[in-house]
Amino acid sequence: MRIEDVVCPFCGCLCDDLVVSVEGTKVLSVENGCTLATEKFTGDHRLAHPIRRTGGAWEKTTYDDAIRETAEILLDAERPLLYGWSGTFVEAQTLGVHMAELLGAVIDNTSTVCHGPSIMAIQEVGHPGCTLGQVKNRADVIVYWGANPIEAHPRHMSRYTTFTDGFFVKSAFRERKVIVVDIRETDSSEIADEFVKVTPGGDYAVLTALRMIVRGKGDLVPATVSGVTREQLFRVAEICLSARFGAIFFGLGLTMSRGKSKNIRNAIELTEELNRHTKFTISPMRGHWNVYGSNEVFTWITGYPYAVDFSRGIAFYNPGETTSVDLLRRKECDACLVVASDPGAHFPRACAEHLASIPTVQIDPHVNATTHLSRIQIPVAVTGIDAEGTAYRMDGVPIRTRKLFSTGYPDDVAVLGRVYSLVKEAKG
Amino acid sequence: MAISLVAYIREFARWEWARKFLAARTAPLVIPPYFRNYPELTGKTCTHHLFCMMACPAPGAIDVIRTPEGWQPRIHIGHCIRCGLCVEACPNGVLSSGRILESMFRDNTRLSFSFKIDVDLDKCMGCGNCAVACPVNKLIDAQMSHGGRASTDDLLLKLSDGKCRVLHVEKCTGCKTCEHHCPNEAISVARLLEAVHAPEEVP
Repeated sequence: MRIEDVVCPFCGCLCDDLVVSVEGTKVLSVENGCTLATEKFTGDHRLAHPIRRTGGAWEKTTYDDAIRETAEILLDAERPLLYGWSGTFVEAQTLGVHMAELLGAVIDNTSTVCHGPSIMAIQEVGHPGCTLGQVKNRADVIVYWGANPIEAHPRHMSRYTTFTDGFFVKSAFRERKVIVVDIRETDSSEIADEFVKVTPGGDYAVLTALRMIVRGKGDLVPATVSGVTREQLFRVAEICLSARFGAIFFGLGLTMSRGKSKNIRNAIELTEELNRHTKFTISPMRGHWNVYGSNEVFTWITGYPYAVDFSRGIAFYNPGETTSVDLLRRKECDACLVVASDPGAHFPRACAEHLASIPTVQIDPHVNATTHLSRIQIPVAVTGIDAEGTAYRMDGVPIRTRKLFSTGYPDDVAVLGRVYSLVKEAKG
Repeated sequence: MAISLVAYIREFARWEWARKFLAARTAPLVIPPYFRNYPELTGKTCTHHLFCMMACPAPGAIDVIRTPEGWQPRIHIGHCIRCGLCVEACPNGVLSSGRILESMFRDNTRLSFSFKIDVDLDKCMGCGNCAVACPVNKLIDAQMSHGGRASTDDLLLKLSDGKCRVLHVEKCTGCKTCEHHCPNEAISVARLLEAVHAPEEVP
């Protein structure tokens, strides 16, 4: 059976034009999707049934037992952490936030180790952003700063930016200029009209130099700024100033290098300066599928986008204190529920060690690095493959994903809903 | 110095030599009909296949420009080595030089282009830049060039199972847009030029 307009369940691009052929519960082929999408659909590292650790070995358990034990672990804990949420749909994320409030827990999503600093900068100076449709139809200058879309978001360039023809950009790649800023040559820099190589940690200075040039204070810029020559900086500024519509996309090269949120603040302020001359927008390259959705859900329920602490009975947010990495490093948490993410693979070693020492429960379809740190793992359906739900694209557009076929797995809402009822029952 | 000056004058001051030099008559220089000069336009319509540029062995010797009358090849004298390959490669006889067109017609020969696209599946990330940028795809399916959604299997290039697949290589025009815009250096386009006798069909 051929199913059209399938939404990809992998990265923040949420490509919604895939054509998937299925037979029973097996995916035969994926058309229009990139390598990452195909692997996600055809990969077979699913966990078959819930497992729990006894002694040094895994034993098979039932959904009823696993869910009951998860609720008990969370209820026994004094400072539980509910982490992850980016790989699941917003309905499940909503349940997570309500459960965190009942438990007095800390709830955090993967932007804590990703675009958290971007959100902090946006809270300071705002977000002159736009949807990807605007970029596709209007942009004639595209800037990728500290991002490598070809490897992380393979179809970003062909679907939304450089190569796709737009309403006002009839001959896409001939009319559009691409600037890539990175610390090393990447696959994306291969197709850049201007590749700016910055020394690691030097982004803030380069952004400041560009702001000076745009402001008309270019004569104060020294011969080189963080490895970038004055001539190139002027050239880049000229390309940006002569744009009819420019779009900056930034990745973790900017958010997670020295300067963090201040880098993003500087980039947003550069965008603001450019807007005095032409039209410019700036957007983060959100990586994890529905991470934007988790920020939305957390914000509309609690007022804060990530790292929300309910231990005081009210929502409290203080990045650096209530963020997962800091909590785990301080060994504050005494239980952790990981949903739809893999902190075992991405957190610092000290945090992973603490996760392994406390009762950690993972709700995830696949066996991953976090499985090896967990006490219990409950497999669920994959949203976008055998479960449907709403997810947010990296530009904040909500998209309803499709269910291709039914498997025996319950979805995240079914599992979390039962944990939530048990918690609610116990809390009264 | 003085001796050589005297010898020089003695040589050229001879009457017999001077008379021959001034009165000699040679046959006038005539360009023979078989002479292969720089290619000239025949007035036939250029269809912008660019085979002339692809066949040309001399860098910068020929390009095709858009004029108010349509596409037109332009020869750059000084770069052109007058080999005549462009004349032979043109499927429409837009260019002419010496007797090349005549002998092609008489002998029923032709220089034929074909193209081969190789995709290194290990390198390909399936980003789709090639399929979206491809000008042939653009003509076949507007949805493809407006965001990479393939709505037909008549395309030249298409993403399938996460990799770029070549569906109809016979539609390739050899422009190499895909090759130039592949960030993974996974695509290479080979232009095969072969001389054929009694071609069955004219491209």
